Amino acid sequence: MEKRKKNLKIAAVLFGAVLLVAVSSGLWAAPKLAVSKAKPGDCAACHVDKKALPETHPDTKTMDIKACRACHASGEMSLSGKFPGSHAHMLSGVNCAACHGKTKQPEEVPMEKCVACHGSTAKLAEKTKDVKPTNPHTSPHYGTELDCNLCHKQHAKSENYCAQCHKFDYKVP
Amino acid sequence: MKEDDVEKKSISRRNFLKTAGGAAAVAGLASSGIPLMVGDAQAACDTLPKKWDETYDVVVVGSGFAGLAAAIEAKNAGASVALLEKMPVHGGNSVINGGDFCAPGTKLQKENGVEDSAELLYKDMMRAGMYLNHPELARTVADNAKGALEWTESYLGCKYAKLNFHGGHSVKRAHGTINQSGSEVVNKELAKAKEIGVKIMLRTKLVKFLSDKNGRIVGMEVLKGYRFPDDKTGKPAFIKARKAVILGSGGFSYDVALRQVHDPRLTDKLGSTNHPGATGEALLAACKSGAADVQMDWIQLGPWTSPEEKGFGYVPLFCEPLVGYGLMVNPKTGKRFFKETGNRKERADAILLLGNPAVIMGDSYAVNKQVVPHALKGGLENGAIKKFDSLDDLAKAYDMPVDAFKEQVARWNSFAEKRKDDDLGCMIFKDAKPTVEAPFYAARLWPKVHHTMGGLVINKDAQVMGFDFKPIKGLYAAGEVTGGVHGAVRLGSVAMADCIVFGRIAGKNAAREKAWS
Repeated sequence: MEKRKKNLKIAAVLFGAVLLVAVSSGLWAAPKLAVSKAKPGDCAACHVDKKALPETHPDTKTMDIKACRACHASGEMSLSGKFPGSHAHMLSGVNCAACHGKTKQPEEVPMEKCVACHGSTAKLAEKTKDVKPTNPHTSPHYGTELDCNLCHKQHAKSENYCAQCHKFDYKVP
Repeated sequence: MKEDDVEKKSISRRNFLKTAGGAAAVAGLASSGIPLMVGDAQAACDTLPKKWDETYDVVVVGSGFAGLAAAIEAKNAGASVALLEKMPVHGGNSVINGGDFCAPGTKLQKENGVEDSAELLYKDMMRAGMYLNHPELARTVADNAKGALEWTESYLGCKYAKLNFHGGHSVKRAHGTINQSGSEVVNKELAKAKEIGVKIMLRTKLVKFLSDKNGRIVGMEVLKGYRFPDDKTGKPAFIKARKAVILGSGGFSYDVALRQVHDPRLTDKLGSTNHPGATGEALLAACKSGAADVQMDWIQLGPWTSPEEKGFGYVPLFCEPLVGYGLMVNPKTGKRFFKETGNRKERADAILLLGNPAVIMGDSYAVNKQVVPHALKGGLENGAIKKFDSLDDLAKAYDMPVDAFKEQVARWNSFAEKRKDDDLGCMIFKDAKPTVEAPFYAARLWPKVHHTMGGLVINKDAQVMGFDFKPIKGLYAAGEVTGGVHGAVRLGSVAMADCIVFGRIAGKNAAREKAWS
């Protein structure tokens, strides 16, 4: 009796593993994209295999960054977290090459690039000194020098890096 | 009866399935280790790559206190040095450490009128370690701790503000950094390493050591651009170490499978005070290349942590000052179950035996007198510490039998009056008072994994030892990845001394090795 139960469990785990491999290999098969030429509204230029925006989202064809920011603003009803950093950059005229350089194989962007345009980390920490529960841009561990990209991801969902050890409930744009 | 309860919980089917992967990994390890145990060094020989991607004299793994100290000393001894870190940031546990550096006979101790000696520190380490410490390693730390502390001051520019006390030491000898964090030291180590030309490579993970036909470590396979914890990320590369590899990769408190193999109680029901990268794969990679490990089941738990907080949290700063002033009860019975002033190990073991979190509590007199305001405020804000107007409210909030609990408080109060605990032998401090003054404060306690005393066997020159009790040529280790320095129990503040002392020794000796190519 016990043994049969165990076998069933193992079978279930194996099935799960096979499923996982199948799903993740599907994700890897993303096609090459002409990202830098994509215009607002032409989501399918990059997001080829699925719809990027929900049906109810207003048409983005005629929108500029200001129009996006009308809804995707920080504040109580914040949508800022749902607006990818790479899109904000692109729509503000900062294209791929501005950060990654002209290359066929773009690599990770060092934090110095961010600071070159956005200004010193010390100034940023000063600006956010009253954020609750504590200033997200300085810490006893790394001072003001924790890499921007650890939280503010450009091509993936942003992340609250502090949250791996702390209960700081930040909304990260 | 209680023991049976715990056993049932830790070998549930769910846990069995979860650890099956870990057990398989260890089985693989054992099979690769067996030939080495019978002294066949050639068993570790690997197919070496036709082309090495990068070459250095010395390659260091890990960017905490130990790894950076090793890298700096190796570089200053004339070696070309690269330092790998698998995480996206430097510092590991060192950068979230509390910044207490143990050293005997220092200037700060003299200023505070503290008489101390290396001999006394050695004795304290051995007694706490239940004499399981490898004596020459403990002696090395005790003898060199003062020099290591002074090196961080004079060479790195670190500042220490305050002399602190930790349980188990005979005197105050923990030198608290100016910002109460290990970051004061590890960030200055990093700055110095960069300044003198150590190449730092973040997101670079050690996969496998490579040995030649004599079992000498000659380099390693790594993943560059690795994104923790996803092992499908990163590009393979081969790095040649002409002289030596130094492992400063830390402990394995966050490695549930590995810690559970050694102490089956430490299931995923227990969190850790460590950073998430404190896993054991670098240690295991060394074992696969013939390194011996020791005392791996001596894993230190903190009995003062809350299951409602992540990491270390505020509750330890609430719990520790309250012992001897308030009571710790089992919410299932409403009764005390272990002496509140017992040591870390005794208390953690007692709570694990309950099988459910305990509750520590104090009244307004005790809390206001003993707990620092920022810790109380932080814990109240995040909900891990709770405040109650009456004992009835407190009991109800934790589902305790109200009458049994109130009877127990009355009993404790009678002990507090006479400063003597007839039931469990808790120390009751002379300024303690009966627990009567509302509001009352309480928090739940559930142990977290804090430090792994065991690890690779090293000698006093920081060389990693093989199963033939001879050093493995070209392999050094320092810090929490090693075992034997602390024996059964690491005393608070000795970790920093251990890491800097052995990190420096490893770095100097690695640079002195004869290059193999």
